[in-house]
Amino acid sequence: MTSTDHAPAPAPVEEADPRDPLTRLTTFLDDGSLHLISAQDRSGMLAATGTVRGVPTVVFAADPRIQGGALGAEGCGVIVEAYERALADDSPIVGLWHSGGARLADGVVSLNGMGEMFAIMTRASGKIPQISVVLGAAAGGAAYGPALTDIVILGPDGLIFVTGPDVVRSVTGENVTAARLGGAEPHGRRSGVVHVATATTEEAYDRGRQMVSLLSDQGRMDVSSVQDRDLAATFPESAKRAYDVHPLIADVVDDVEDCVELHPRWAPSIVTTLGRLGGRTIGVIANNPLRLGGCLDATSAEKASRFVRMCDAFGIPLVVLVDVPGYLPGVGQEWDGVVRRGAKLLHAFAEAVVPRVTLVTRKTYGGAYIAMNSRSLGATRVFAWPTAEVAVMGHVAAVRILHRRRLAEVDPAERVTVENELAEEHAVLAGGLPRAVEIGVVDEVIEPTTTRSALATAIAAAPQRRGEHGNIPL
Amino acid sequence: MAIQEVVSDLVANVAQVQVEVGEHVEIGHELVLLESMKMEIPVLSEVAGTVAAVRVSPGDVVQEGEILVVLS
Repeated sequence: MTSTDHAPAPAPVEEADPRDPLTRLTTFLDDGSLHLISAQDRSGMLAATGTVRGVPTVVFAADPRIQGGALGAEGCGVIVEAYERALADDSPIVGLWHSGGARLADGVVSLNGMGEMFAIMTRASGKIPQISVVLGAAAGGAAYGPALTDIVILGPDGLIFVTGPDVVRSVTGENVTAARLGGAEPHGRRSGVVHVATATTEEAYDRGRQMVSLLSDQGRMDVSSVQDRDLAATFPESAKRAYDVHPLIADVVDDVEDCVELHPRWAPSIVTTLGRLGGRTIGVIANNPLRLGGCLDATSAEKASRFVRMCDAFGIPLVVLVDVPGYLPGVGQEWDGVVRRGAKLLHAFAEAVVPRVTLVTRKTYGGAYIAMNSRSLGATRVFAWPTAEVAVMGHVAAVRILHRRRLAEVDPAERVTVENELAEEHAVLAGGLPRAVEIGVVDEVIEPTTTRSALATAIAAAPQRRGEHGNIPL
Repeated sequence: MAIQEVVSDLVANVAQVQVEVGEHVEIGHELVLLESMKMEIPVLSEVAGTVAAVRVSPGDVVQEGEILVVLS
């Protein structure tokens, strides 16, 4: 056991191997804070405690120089002990992954070790933040390790797959490159395995550090520090016109540089971002009309559900920015399980005990209205801007159904005019926003220029609780 | 020269085509305006490049995954 109370000795004069786990641990942790908690041996895994932006953290790193980082019982044991330490200290744990998976030569013993590692990761789920930074290939069990954690960050050389290209070729005959099988494109855009893909290794470390800070150094909401801005400034004039929601999110949070968007390219019709408001970590969930018109679909509902549950488990309040036309219709969606996967979002919000505040900016319709943290699901506060529509569907769409026969008899040339007239009548009848306030599904109509302080005040006033559940990788 | 095929995210009507073959576009340039879900949804370029082909015209109905514009 190597353990020192002073700063680690200067590295040997010859250039350090960048794959050396000690180099990686030292790089990741704050300068001079590293304390090894496992032996530097042939186990293929090295663990340390230290600080990350001042937060006490447990970190482990695979050693790809030894059997490609493959893990036997000893290597898995190092991880299990690191988890026990992190659980005892109530500190976040970070894995720096670069491993071919279980050690074949060790047989079932290594599989058993892997299983014990998965078990403690699951036991820790929702209790302490778990972050994975994948720096090289992470295959087999070394793929499922990161996948069980809360956040997976993929560096430029990172690869994640159950089996590599050679096995795929010999078993299925598919010719595929490693990057296409398990790089940033498949996992960032298609599978949702990776939360954040980075262009450089340094950025991967930095995102990992940022996640430690956001999840474990959440800060306290200082409402007096929250400056109001006109949040509607970035919206298009036409209510029909789609827009990118990112500028709105940037205006809601304190500092967009301090934010991490999770799954930016996967299921982009919903945006999930961790950032700070009034100095306190918050989770922002926003429909993005630029993609799929902002519709919820099977994948985006699932993405948002996992985010809600992670934030709830770690006591991170939620801000839900709603502009949603509905669930995406279609055969593809039904067959993709939009009912089952959409139900996850209902479950996640209804279960969450963290402060969760909804803002309807333009519209919220139908089933998606319910799913986006509605009053009925237990929202802490529901705000709406003065021009927002809260309805079962758009007025024109509604009259097309309600007055189908009458419209069919109208001269096609006049149909649009009649539709619009009926829609106006329908809007009055349905009651719109005043009616939504009257029946209590919207608590308050607020101006875009006072929204930031309203959100912050609502969060600060709510009991600060956290959900007692794990964060299953939904 | 890399080719980028810009596809539709969803079933939609093509309302407007805002680029011509040979035109240079920057990131964020509006290529096509789609109508779907009662909304006007602009399709923006994710890369800078030259329009190599336009595969749709106003009034067309496009399916999810259908190519709208090819950039090079």
